[in-house]
Amino acid sequence: MRKTTPLAIFVIVLLAAGGSFVWFVEQSGGSSATTIAPYNSTQVIVLYANYQGWNYNSSIPNPTLYEKTHVLLEFKVIEQDNLPHTLTINPGSNESASNYIVSVNIPAVTGTIVWVNWSFANPGIYTYWCEVHPETMVGKLVLNSTTSNTTNASVASPLPPEIADIVGYSSSIHSPYALRDANEEVW
Amino acid sequence: MGFSFELAVFGSTIAILIIMGFLLYYFAVDYRRNLLGNGNSELPKKESNAILSKMSRELSFTAFIMDDSKSIGIRYIITSLALFFIAGLAGIGMRLSLWFPNPSFLTPVQYNILLTAHGTLMLYGWAVGGILGLSYYLLPTSIRLRKDSLGVVSSIMYWMFLVGSLFIIFSRSTATWYFYYPLVDQLTASGGGTLSFGSLIGVMLILVATVVSSIIFLKMIFLDRDESIRLSNLPLFAWSIVSTAFLIIASAPVSIIADGFLIYDLINPIFFQAANGTALAYAILFWFWGHPIVYVAVIPAFGLIYELLPRFTGTKIYSYKAGVLSLLLLMVLSGTVWGHHLFNSGLGTVWDLIFSTTSFIVAVPSAMSVFNWIATMWVGRIRITVPTLFIINAIIDFIIGGVSGVMAADVGVNQLIHGTYAITAHFHFILLGLTTGMAFAAIYVLFPTLTGGRNYNIPMAKVHFYLTSIGTWVMSGFWLVGGFAGMPRRVAGYFGIFQTYQDAAAIGGVILGLGYLIFLINFLYSGSRPVETGTGNILEEEVSA
Repeated sequence: MRKTTPLAIFVIVLLAAGGSFVWFVEQSGGSSATTIAPYNSTQVIVLYANYQGWNYNSSIPNPTLYEKTHVLLEFKVIEQDNLPHTLTINPGSNESASNYIVSVNIPAVTGTIVWVNWSFANPGIYTYWCEVHPETMVGKLVLNSTTSNTTNASVASPLPPEIADIVGYSSSIHSPYALRDANEEVW
Repeated sequence: MGFSFELAVFGSTIAILIIMGFLLYYFAVDYRRNLLGNGNSELPKKESNAILSKMSRELSFTAFIMDDSKSIGIRYIITSLALFFIAGLAGIGMRLSLWFPNPSFLTPVQYNILLTAHGTLMLYGWAVGGILGLSYYLLPTSIRLRKDSLGVVSSIMYWMFLVGSLFIIFSRSTATWYFYYPLVDQLTASGGGTLSFGSLIGVMLILVATVVSSIIFLKMIFLDRDESIRLSNLPLFAWSIVSTAFLIIASAPVSIIADGFLIYDLINPIFFQAANGTALAYAILFWFWGHPIVYVAVIPAFGLIYELLPRFTGTKIYSYKAGVLSLLLLMVLSGTVWGHHLFNSGLGTVWDLIFSTTSFIVAVPSAMSVFNWIATMWVGRIRITVPTLFIINAIIDFIIGGVSGVMAADVGVNQLIHGTYAITAHFHFILLGLTTGMAFAAIYVLFPTLTGGRNYNIPMAKVHFYLTSIGTWVMSGFWLVGGFAGMPRRVAGYFGIFQTYQDAAAIGGVILGLGYLIFLINFLYSGSRPVETGTGNILEEEVSA
C-alpha cells in the first residue's frame, strides 16, 4: 500500500461524511416557490374529483378559483367515482419552480377526503388538474395579491344560496379567527 | 420546467461514472499484467483472476479498475466504510438535535432527511455493502477458488451499488427506510421529499446488485471451490454466505417489484390505492424482504465469529455440525417471521399468533450459535486481543438485543412498545454490537494484509473498542428503558419527561462517534508508518474445519 493511500481514504471518508451532512441539512429545496409562503388566514376549497371534470355534478364544472396570496388554501378533495385521481397545481408563469406546487394522490374509494394545504407567495394564473385525467379535469386558479381588494370584488363567485346556507360561505373577506367550517368554499 | 440543480447533479454523476469506466479500462489491462507477471498473464481470464483473488491484496484504488473477486471486495470495503461514516454522522446529528425536547438545531424535515439517510445507508450501504465486501474478499481464499469467472458482472454490480448509494444520498428522501406507500409518492417537502423517487431507484439498484452478487457467491461456493474442500468441511463463513445468499435471492426480488410498483404509482396510482391493493399490501411486500435483510446483516457476522473464535481460543469450534445446522435453520426460519413488523397493522389475530410463534422459534438457532461460541471459549484458552474483545462484546450485545427482540415478538408486549425506542434499542444492540463490531473485528484481523504489512496501534484500537462498546450500551440501554416508558421513535421532538433518556442516549451517541473517529485516526496513523510485518493474516492463512 502506498503511503498516501490511508491519507486519501481518511480525507475521502471525512469529506464524504461532512459533505453529505451539509447536503442533508441544507434543505431550501431550490426555489422559493417550493416553500410555503407565510399566511395570516386560511381558506377551505372543496373539490369533487370526477373523471368527467372537477365538481362535474355541480352547476360549474372545472370552476375557475379566485383566491388571494398569503392565504393558506386548504384543498378538501373528495373522491366521487372510484377512479384514481391526483390534485396537481403547476407553477405560475412568474415562478421558476421545477416541481409541482401541489401534488397529491386521491385514493380511489368514493367518499375519501384528502386535505392538502398551500399558501401562494406570487399572484398569477395557475392551473390545477389531475395527472390521470388531464383532458377533462383541469381548471384555472387565479391568485390576486392580498392587498388589492378591487379585482377580487369584481370576480366574486356565484354561489347558489342554498349551498351558501349549508356551508356558511361568506364573500371573500375572511377573518383569521373564523372557524374552519364557516370558512369552507364550494365552487 | 426550469433548471434543476438536483437533476443536474444526478445526470453529471452518471456521466462522470461512464467516462471514468472508459478511461480506466485501459489502465486495468496494464495493472493486471504487472501483478500477474509474465507467465500468468497469458492464462485465460477466469484462471488469472483466480490467481489474483488468492493473492494477499492490500487496500488500493487500483482495485476499482480490476475485476477479480479480491479487488471487488476491496472496492466494497472502502465504499461501505465511507457510507458508514456518512450515515453515522447523520445519526449523531439526530442525537444532538434531540438533546432538547423541542426540535433544536434541526427542523422536523431536516430530522426526517437524516433519519432516512441514516437508516437506508446503514442497512443497504454499510451492512449489505460490508458483507458483500468481506464475502468477495474472504471467500476465494477460504474455499480455494479454482476459477474466478463473472468478474465483469461483479464489477458492474459494484458500480450499480455505488450509483444506488449516491441516489439515496442525493435524493434527500424523508420517507424513512421502508418507504411506506402514501408518503413516499407525495413528492413535496412535507411528504416524502421532492426527489423521494431517487432513493427508490437507488434502493432498487442496490437490491439488484445484491441479488446478482448472491448468485455469484453461490456459484463460487458450490461450483468453483477446490476439490479438497467438501461440503462437510466447508468453512463456516462460507456456510453463512450460503445461508445469506439463499435468503437474499428468495426475498429481495419481492422488494424490487414493490419498489417498481411505487415508481409506477407516481405516474398512474393503481397498485397500492385502496380500491386495487392497499397500503398494507405494500407493507407486506416490503417486510417480506425487510425482515430478511436484518438477518442478511446478522448471519455473516455469525460466520465471522465462527471463523475467528477458534483462532483466538486455539481449539476447533465446539460443534461444527451444530454451527451449520444453526446457520441453515436461521436461513429457513428467518424467512417466516416478517409479519411481526405488522402486529398493529391489522393482519388479524391468527396471523399475528403465527408470526409471534415463528419469531419465538427463530430464537432457537440463534441460541444454538451462542451456546456453541460459549462452549468454544469454555474449552479453549482465550487469547485477549482487540478482535477477541469485539467478539466477546458482539456475543453479549447479541444476547441482550436478541432477548429484547423475543420480548417484542410477543403480540401483547408489542402493542405496548410498538413504535417506541425499545425497538430501536433492540436492533441497535444487534447491528452495532454484532454486525458493526464483527466487521471492525475482521478489519483489525485483516489490517496487516489490507495495509501491506503494517500493524494497527493497539492502545488506540482498544480505546476504539471500549468507546464503541460503552457508547452502544449507554445509547441503546437508555433507549430500551425509555422505550418501555413509552418514548416514541422517529420523531424530531418529544415530551419533556423523556429528556433524561434522550440526553443519555445523545451522550452515548457522541461516545460512539468518538470511538469510530479514533478508528479512522488509527488507520491514518498506523497506515502511514513504515512496513514492519508480513502481509499474512490468520483469517486467510489456515483453513480449518
